[in-house]
Amino acid sequence: MISDMDTPPIASQDPEQPAAQAEPVNLWGTEYSLFACSSCGWGYLAAPTPAQRCPHCYKASLSPMQPLPEGYLPQNLPPELVFPFTLGTSAQAQRLQEFTNGIPYPPADMSPANLKERLRRVFIPAWLVDAGVRAGWQAETGFNYEVVSHQERYSDNQGGWRTKEVKETRVRWEPRLGKLERSYQNISLPAVEREAALEKSLGGFEPAGARPYAPELAAEAFIRLPARSRQDAWPDALPRLQNMAAEECRQAAGADHLRDFRWSPEFHSQEWTLLLQPVYSTYYLDDEGQPHPVYLNGQSGAISGVRRASPKRAQRRSLTILIVAAILFMISLVLVLAGALVPPLLAVGGFGLFAGVLVAFAAAVPAMVVWQFNRSQEG
Amino acid sequence: MPENLSPENYASQPSKLEGIQVYAPAPPPAEKHQLEVDFKCLKCGATTAFSVPDGSLTCTHCGFHEPPKKPVVGKGAEQFEFTVETMERAAHGWGEPRTEMECQSCGARTSLPTDMLTYTCAFCGSNKVIQREAPQDVLRPRFIVPFKIEPAQCGTLTRSWLESSWMTPSGLKNLSRLAEFSGVYLPYWTFDSVTAASWKAEVGHDKVERYYENGQWKERTVTHWRWESGNVRLAHDDLIVEGSARLSRRLMEQLKDFDLGALMPYEPSFLAGLQARAYDIPLEAAWETARQEMREKTRQACYSQASTPKVRSFSMELDFSEESWRYILLPMYVAAYRFQDKTFQVMLNGQTGRIAGQRPVDWTKVGLVAALIAAPGLLLCLLGLLTLLFGIGFGIGGLGLVLLLVGGVIDAVIIAKAMSMDDI
Repeated sequence: MISDMDTPPIASQDPEQPAAQAEPVNLWGTEYSLFACSSCGWGYLAAPTPAQRCPHCYKASLSPMQPLPEGYLPQNLPPELVFPFTLGTSAQAQRLQEFTNGIPYPPADMSPANLKERLRRVFIPAWLVDAGVRAGWQAETGFNYEVVSHQERYSDNQGGWRTKEVKETRVRWEPRLGKLERSYQNISLPAVEREAALEKSLGGFEPAGARPYAPELAAEAFIRLPARSRQDAWPDALPRLQNMAAEECRQAAGADHLRDFRWSPEFHSQEWTLLLQPVYSTYYLDDEGQPHPVYLNGQSGAISGVRRASPKRAQRRSLTILIVAAILFMISLVLVLAGALVPPLLAVGGFGLFAGVLVAFAAAVPAMVVWQFNRSQEG
Repeated sequence: MPENLSPENYASQPSKLEGIQVYAPAPPPAEKHQLEVDFKCLKCGATTAFSVPDGSLTCTHCGFHEPPKKPVVGKGAEQFEFTVETMERAAHGWGEPRTEMECQSCGARTSLPTDMLTYTCAFCGSNKVIQREAPQDVLRPRFIVPFKIEPAQCGTLTRSWLESSWMTPSGLKNLSRLAEFSGVYLPYWTFDSVTAASWKAEVGHDKVERYYENGQWKERTVTHWRWESGNVRLAHDDLIVEGSARLSRRLMEQLKDFDLGALMPYEPSFLAGLQARAYDIPLEAAWETARQEMREKTRQACYSQASTPKVRSFSMELDFSEESWRYILLPMYVAAYRFQDKTFQVMLNGQTGRIAGQRPVDWTKVGLVAALIAAPGLLLCLLGLLTLLFGIGFGIGGLGLVLLLVGGVIDAVIIAKAMSMDDI
């Protein structure tokens, strides 16, 4: 439990230091080592292991990190809640298969088997904050009521008017004000900068699936270190708290609707803990050997990652077609020349020349398809 | 719990969540409901009554004026929606048909019909206004148009109205005494609504065609029917519908030209010394009448959009929206007079002075005029018959027949008007 809002910046790292020398630290009842990526700057807690690629960018090997400053993490209290990895192996395979399907000329390294073999578990942290609020509030509250209205139909052919009574629900708005003294628990706030983008691409997590933290739930997984301080994350809590308070004021007033909610809150008794969200991470290499990460939601299996086609494979295919076209062209040319002696060969040769030109044009298709596909993925 | 809050003009409300206090605007202080309001002069204690020329409560003894406390609100007077609750409560009516009232001045007990809003104690002469509990607060009179026409003007207006027709008997001008006009506030409903309609119909377009038949060219008119459609949106503002079925609907219809710009919030003092009635046509029935009128107006507006007046297979769908209503009291004078042992009823709009009612008809005079109109035609017809032998009878007789026909139509109009004069 942390009551201090200041989270110091992450400790300076030494990418040259071999992983084997990482000092294990006892944290939350288990032994972790601290690692950082020199390429993307992500820091991790993980079981002491031999050097391996960063599970976020896969561009560099993880290096051991200096111990974290005092107060950076809730040292004494483990994360409050964990969403466990629940995505089965068959579901993983199916999602990875779907990911690789439909790519024209996929890179040689991009296969469902490779992707599955490289899957690694990563927990993305989120802050959980509890806060007490004292506030004066005012709003307009809306109460539903029903009015009787009429719809009428007239027809010469059906002998006059037919009336239908209809009931419409309308809202009567009335001002309300008051005081509020409530406490709100477990408001989840992003602890890494790009969490919103990650959540957008991978979808959210089912709140009912959260479990109290236990070391075995985080075993064999990388735990991403928070990159946002609590001070930085706190402003994100304010609109959420306001919405929750507005909803409670609506309920307290017995209203059906509420608008123009205004309050003057004073917060107290803030308590900060962590929530761990499960993400599978894997990668494939493109033609230049550059890694492209792929992420899977550890619960729903929603997948996110850039799908790239292989320009090299496409070029090879184009070259093959071009060679075929050249051979066809040469043979046809010979036949045309021979046509001077045997006239029927002239027609065959002419047709062959035409076909050769067409095949030569078709050689551009693979390269164009790949270019178009990769361009569409950039968007 | 939070500290107690006590905002001005707000009252604490029960909260459905612990830890949250809720305050709502305090309702206006409830006026103590008086079933009966008695009117006594603040100066001398004598009975006071509403005086039309002064527009105030005036003491019958010392002449002290007590002006009304509320200003004119006109057409901006509050309107109410057709909530389910109002419609259900309005349908319950007033309950008991009669109420027993006890005079606060002399203690005499009087039994009154439920729809009477005022009475004058027969024993001590004090004026009372009854404020009966309505089925819902909005169903008690909320607005009123005070009398503008003084009782003294009623006689003059009625006399000139009686004399305005040649069909009335000559003796009517010398009618020595008209019955006393009683000022009475009658209940009315006003309705607002917007009607939005979409219509379609076959509209006929006449065209003259030439055709060849039996060796010659002829012309004929042919109607070509084409489907047309359109949309109409009409706003209906303050449509007035009677709230009482006790008086002649025909007369009340003729006197509905009230200026609602003079509406004032209801105050019992407006009724002091006058008669007033509560509605006996409930809201739903009155709204049905208003809706019929609104939808007919909308239908006519749809018809007027058609490119020609020839329309068939007309159909329309109509939606009412923004419906609202008011329950108001409007001033009317009612009187009856006797002429040749027959009683005639007259009503006078207490705001505009417009009159409607029964007038006796001098049938001898009407018959004579009708005969005079028909006579030229009849005579020419006879002359035509007599001159048939001389070969000019057809012309004269034909002219006579035409004149007789025209005279007959005029006579029919005169007789219909004469019959309607004493009909209510």
